Amino acid sequence: MSVRFKLDYRRFPAGPTEPFPRRTSVVRPVVPIALINGSNRVRVFALIDSGADYCIFHAEIGEQIGLEIESGKSLAFSGISGAGQTAYFHNIKLELGGHQFDCYAGFSRDIDNLPYGILRQAGFFDIFKVSFDYNKEKIELQSQDD
Amino acid sequence: MTDNTDLREILKQYSDKWVALSNDSSRVVGVADKAADALQQARANSEPDPILTRVPDNYGTYIL
Repeated sequence: MSVRFKLDYRRFPAGPTEPFPRRTSVVRPVVPIALINGSNRVRVFALIDSGADYCIFHAEIGEQIGLEIESGKSLAFSGISGAGQTAYFHNIKLELGGHQFDCYAGFSRDIDNLPYGILRQAGFFDIFKVSFDYNKEKIELQSQDD
Repeated sequence: MTDNTDLREILKQYSDKWVALSNDSSRVVGVADKAADALQQARANSEPDPILTRVPDNYGTYIL
């Protein structure tokens, strides 16, 4: 059965920078999501990001749901800076809006500078049809069960 | 219960820390250098379903 629900963008503090001297905040499609491994469950904020391939979370979070991070299959990846990073992949479950689904997610010790986990194409956009309404600060998700 | 989605005030003083928020994101229930310690503080504060997040120096300079 298909599930459809809306979530709000979240607003975070942001200091001024040279190109954006008046900015005091940023608004982003960040949602609370639960990571589940067996009986272990931890909720984190995660950014819905259509621009890359895999769901990635901090290794520290993976440890909190009982994963042995480095036992997963490793993948070298890089962000916009081009700096090399490594993620280790594990089968977990994600829970969002009361909807639970399988995800083969990466966990990395190289993303400590990032504020949230990342929900990307494989493991999220193949589960949900996602619509962004930036002006209304709303995200609409519809599961693609049907 | 309505989630608090404006996190400007409650997060701005916790740069470079792991922060645990209450279930509705309205209160800080744990702050630490390690996610495990922030989570432990949240549970000690009787928060049954906290949300963990890492607070960077400046959200405005974050880009993938």
